Amino acid sequence: MTMTTPKGGCFGKILEIDLSKQTYKTREVPDEIYQKAIGGNGLGAYFATTEYKAHKDPLAEDAFMFIGPGPLNGTYCVSTRMSIAHMSPYTGLISHAETGAHFGNEIKWAGWDGIYIKGRSKKPVWLSIVDDKVEFKDAAKVWGKTTEETHEMIMKEMKDPYARTAVIGPAGENQVPFSCVIVERFRAAARSGTGMLMGNKKLKGLAVRGTKAVPVADNGKFMEMANYAKKLAVEKEAWQGIKRWGTAGLLEQNNYFTGSLITKNYQTTWYPDIVKIGGEEAGRKFWKRHVACNHCPVHCLKLGVIREGKYKGLIAEGPEYESGGLLGSNLGMTDLNTELAMIEACDAYGIDNISTGGVLGFATELVEKGILKPADLDGLKPKWGDGETYMELIRKICYKEGKAGKLLAKGVKKMAAQIGKGAEAYAMQVKGKELAAHDPRGDKARAYSYCLGSCGGDHHEGASTRALIIFAMLNSLSLCSFASGLLWGGENAKITVGMLNPLCGWSMKEDDYWTTGKRIMTMERVFNVREGVSRKDDGLPKRFMTEKLPAGPKKGNIFTAEDTKKMQDEFYSFVGWDEKGIPSEATLKGLGLEYLIDDVAAARKEYKS
Amino acid sequence: MEDKKKKLPELIRTETTRRGFLRGTAVAAGSAVAMATIGSLAPKSAQAQAKPPEPKKDPMKFLFAERQNCTGCRACEYACSVYHTGVVRPSVSRIHVLKYKDSIDVPVLCWHCNDAPCIAACPTTPKAIQVDPKSNGIILNEKICLGAKCLKCQEACPAQYVWANPDTGQPLICDMCGGDPECVKACSAQSGNPQGPCLMANKLGFGVNMAYRAVTPEQAGADLMFLTFYPNVGGKRITPVKTAKTKKARR
Repeated sequence: MTMTTPKGGCFGKILEIDLSKQTYKTREVPDEIYQKAIGGNGLGAYFATTEYKAHKDPLAEDAFMFIGPGPLNGTYCVSTRMSIAHMSPYTGLISHAETGAHFGNEIKWAGWDGIYIKGRSKKPVWLSIVDDKVEFKDAAKVWGKTTEETHEMIMKEMKDPYARTAVIGPAGENQVPFSCVIVERFRAAARSGTGMLMGNKKLKGLAVRGTKAVPVADNGKFMEMANYAKKLAVEKEAWQGIKRWGTAGLLEQNNYFTGSLITKNYQTTWYPDIVKIGGEEAGRKFWKRHVACNHCPVHCLKLGVIREGKYKGLIAEGPEYESGGLLGSNLGMTDLNTELAMIEACDAYGIDNISTGGVLGFATELVEKGILKPADLDGLKPKWGDGETYMELIRKICYKEGKAGKLLAKGVKKMAAQIGKGAEAYAMQVKGKELAAHDPRGDKARAYSYCLGSCGGDHHEGASTRALIIFAMLNSLSLCSFASGLLWGGENAKITVGMLNPLCGWSMKEDDYWTTGKRIMTMERVFNVREGVSRKDDGLPKRFMTEKLPAGPKKGNIFTAEDTKKMQDEFYSFVGWDEKGIPSEATLKGLGLEYLIDDVAAARKEYKS
Repeated sequence: MEDKKKKLPELIRTETTRRGFLRGTAVAAGSAVAMATIGSLAPKSAQAQAKPPEPKKDPMKFLFAERQNCTGCRACEYACSVYHTGVVRPSVSRIHVLKYKDSIDVPVLCWHCNDAPCIAACPTTPKAIQVDPKSNGIILNEKICLGAKCLKCQEACPAQYVWANPDTGQPLICDMCGGDPECVKACSAQSGNPQGPCLMANKLGFGVNMAYRAVTPEQAGADLMFLTFYPNVGGKRITPVKTAKTKKARR
């Protein structure tokens, strides 16, 4: 392969860190790879498929995590994010965790296209990256501390208010498989065990500061398209609500209209008490400030202060739709203040809101059904709306304390297997990952995201065949789905290509947008196929197929086996995978992924035997 | 030492008083006009005492930040660096959005003080930084500026606004984009919903904006944190966050 340096958008170099040897070096990446895999999640998938053999131990010493912004990060494009791509120690599949804030851009401004971390330190360390200068710093002082304290300590040592941090909390250190990385205190790169991986590497956190600029091949043309894209985000009428309410506005919307607000471990989607914990109540009682990511006119994050009760005076973030759904209606909460404290506790411990909510809801239903006894939970008896017990359980999960902590920290799938007694019927997960706060019986399109997305029951994978490809691109470009993807709608390919070509000096066509998206999805799929994933795994939990929605606007709805099959067939044929959900040889050749043909053939043999 | 015990609003008042009024020599134009506005509401005898200056035909240009409204999107930094260098590069932006305790975004900008401590501190002859009378922006003469080895202007700025260019070491000071500030346009386009823009230009308000003039970013952050999250808790004003020590040099 010819090595060409990128003309713009990317620097052509990735910071490669070896924690075992405490060394770092520059890994040169040619322009062709960026054209093929873009960045972020796509580049992570490329590294995973080229470097890993099948059945890799995700916590092996040489296992990597790739913190990737995309080519558009650090440029004039609206709302750029970052993606952490790695093999998930939670699900054993390829995973990517996206988050907003400014960290991703700061990596680009430091002159890197991403940070590739491997190895395992003997002692806890944190990394300071200031432009080209990388330092390994002792983290003994903050090991065991919450994300907030760690963040404060790192900011103090960096002596630069522009430094950006990404840290783990006690949950990550204690190897809770759904722990996460907390970026700049309130944003989480979660859902895939990023915290566990970092904890395993004894890496407490990173701080990045950059002073460079991202090169642009043709600035005039790029600014033209970037300004057009920004104009849409500023002006589009349908987007004004999210500026006011954040995603919490969906709590009411999905209860009253869409019929997809999950309630009490997915038993129903009708939750009249949403008036006590929804966006409107949060606006009245809690929110104080709107916070935006890079160059984003949407500012969907809401900060507030708890004004009464036990947690009075606590500054917290939320509720967002997912956190307010999973830790709110899913647990039958009626007290907004305690719910917000639970969300803040999850952030402070560095644990995924969504999976935690899923686990707590599952445990509560099992106790309700008599499958799980309080004796199994250290005498605690969780019941719907009992915030204090949930707070105690969250703490126990993060420290894996007692019977309850050890059990719940396994996650829903393994818990169900361990408990038995029919517990599996209530385990709401796909590919080992808890589902997000959209009930697919009310909002059928969400099933695409849960079932066909590459990393399991995730809401951030696109809710239709084409959206799955768009999201694969968004996660690789590291763009926000609110301020760009969903907003641009039918113009996604046009705008993205219109920005990438002048930025990187490429000559992509709109068709190439779809091809690239399919290539990224296929790379990830091949990785998962090697781990044994096929059509049988691309389905929803049984509850959605057997229990009709008992109340709400979509009363009586059910997700049928035909719905599942239709969805799978539609998507498989669109991306060129066969009826088993395995990419065909022709597809691999067509996408320029010849190097994976042998892997797929080997996996096929395994399926037959 | 006493200042430390004082509550925050008092601290701000003393800061303003010190810089704006007690100095006696150069009264900031902003304060003067603010006084004029107050004056119009006051009885006539008081007006005569205040002696408001004639409003100028070509009003002085100022930048203001309604800090409560800042979302931390950094559109101002983007616009500033694009205007000055063509590409996005916040490290050479002449406006800064700093985070305080990662909860509060604090826009730090040039107040275009009439007494301009930065220019007073500049050791070169002629001065390397000078006010452009048309736009009220501060223009840097790169040939004369001593750069990293000097940065007296950085030390002199009461708002700790001046940052150095990482390439040249020379100060980054607001030139008002020749009279039509890009940051203001970017801000009003972008953060207008729902709380209104943060940055404004060409208007003189009075009160909080000028009060912030002599407050460091950290103090401003602490104050904003207090204003945002803990106003009148239980009928009592409280100061849950410590304010930063004010430097003795600036008293």
